[in-house]
Amino acid sequence: MSIAWTNRMLLLVALGLAALYLFPLYWMYVTSLKTGSEIFATPPGMFPASPQWSNFVYVWETRNMGRFLWNSTIIASGTMALTAILGTGCAYVLARYRNGWIDLALFLVLMLQVLPASLMITPIFVGFSQIGLLNYPQLAVILAVTAKAMPFFVVLVRATFMSVPGELEEAALVDGNSRIGAFWFIVLPLARNGILVSAILIFMQAFGEFVYSKSMIQASELQPASVGLNTFMGPNTTEWGNIMAYATIYVTPILAAFVLLQRRIVSGLTSGALK
Amino acid sequence: MSRLLSSLRDGKGFDIVLVAVPLAFLLVFSGLPLIYNVVMSFQAVDMFSLGTFNRPWVGFKNYVDVFSLPATWPIMRNTVIFVVCSIAGQFVIGFALALFFARGFPGSSYIRGLFLASWVMPGLVVGAMWNWILAGDFGVLNYALRSLGIISENIFWASNPAWSLWAVIVANIWLGISFNMILLSVGLAAIPRDLYEAAALDGANGLQKFWTITLPMMRSTIGAVISLGLIFTLQQFDLFASITSGGPANSSNVAQYWAWEMSFRQYDFAKGATISVVMIAVVMIASVIYVRSTRHEVRG
Repeated sequence: MSIAWTNRMLLLVALGLAALYLFPLYWMYVTSLKTGSEIFATPPGMFPASPQWSNFVYVWETRNMGRFLWNSTIIASGTMALTAILGTGCAYVLARYRNGWIDLALFLVLMLQVLPASLMITPIFVGFSQIGLLNYPQLAVILAVTAKAMPFFVVLVRATFMSVPGELEEAALVDGNSRIGAFWFIVLPLARNGILVSAILIFMQAFGEFVYSKSMIQASELQPASVGLNTFMGPNTTEWGNIMAYATIYVTPILAAFVLLQRRIVSGLTSGALK
Repeated sequence: MSRLLSSLRDGKGFDIVLVAVPLAFLLVFSGLPLIYNVVMSFQAVDMFSLGTFNRPWVGFKNYVDVFSLPATWPIMRNTVIFVVCSIAGQFVIGFALALFFARGFPGSSYIRGLFLASWVMPGLVVGAMWNWILAGDFGVLNYALRSLGIISENIFWASNPAWSLWAVIVANIWLGISFNMILLSVGLAAIPRDLYEAAALDGANGLQKFWTITLPMMRSTIGAVISLGLIFTLQQFDLFASITSGGPANSSNVAQYWAWEMSFRQYDFAKGATISVVMIAVVMIASVIYVRSTRHEVRG
């Protein structure tokens, strides 16, 4: 068998594996397009006989999805902005120097990355309610999620800064730039792509955030889409077409961004997670 | 004053501000809760003393209470099963896929990247998806298993106590495969090709190459991936919330979900804090192992 043939076979197998793996995703899309009787048909049809959009319209209106998605967007944008503003400088310093203090700070950051949100929510909830932060529930969620997400961002962006040659910054300093100038005009533009991709990853994470929002936001008009989906899914639900339509509306923007940025996201993740 | 300003603009002060502000933020919103958690686990906390810092101290009473609850040991057992089986499934399937995609045919890296779609999805959406696939009457998994002749009657995955934990494990394995695979791929790519060429010249077969080259060369990567898997598995909350809610009758409850349930379903914040302290200690130990296994890479 020639190499070209082997490659073609391998590609086919790879496509098969990817299709198998992504089947749950496909099943969500297909179900959201089916009619009620089709959903409960045996055997289940692999394709919708006549694609319906009524599930989407129904869910969007009855579940107040615009409101939920807008709240998710607020929480995700706030988290992304705060994380990027605070985390970028931190990552830069941690990448630029090597000494005991930096190692200690790095170790602390790595340790904070691993704290499970569902275990941290108890003290955060009690503490926030004592200082009155729970009166601004979305802000409280943004602060808590930022504290959870920033270590990850710092680790990723630090890897980016380490690939920026230090000589460029030194040259800028020799040419009479201040440290702020060299950072702002030389280093930041060179690390822009890495920072952008990491910020988008943080946005995606915060867009799907659940534990903090579920615990701290009581008013339903302030809750994000994840909490909305959770209240939609009762224990004995049969509204699968509607639930899948909800999930589809919720996840499609994220998947679209992922497909567009796939290569950068994968390389960003792999450079940061193990280094 | 001007010296301070110029240091901020042009010297050490610049670095210190850049790193001190975020660290202070982390200390306030992660470090303080961590300490407060321990403090609360030694206090009596109820709805009335929730608003005050001045609560009665009760020593180790909360710990004794938690560990004498009848639900505690089954839940701890569930946690161990959940962690071990999730990691084993993710790792074995992820490793197999990584080895397959390491053959480097045209298009392999793009298709491999597609797997990460699961990683960027909101946990609740993954939970909803699997909830529907695992549904008892009309779920597609039951249909597939029935047509293959593996089962004769539908399994009610989420509501049968014998299967509920496995429903979450299956979903969690699916979620973790992509991450395991991508990280293991990075490790595989770092093994020098000429080792394999030399082994091939010596007449080694595929299995021998795997045992004598791939596995030993991947040791630190495997250590890191497994401890990261442990950390992520202990963070898993969304799937429990969306598939089984820990039920029925705690049959699929695990410590990290139980801690939340204690605080936010039964409003017993002291016990919630106590379980959290115990589990955070476990996570911390896992992450020290993780940091150590990546240390030479951290120090670059």
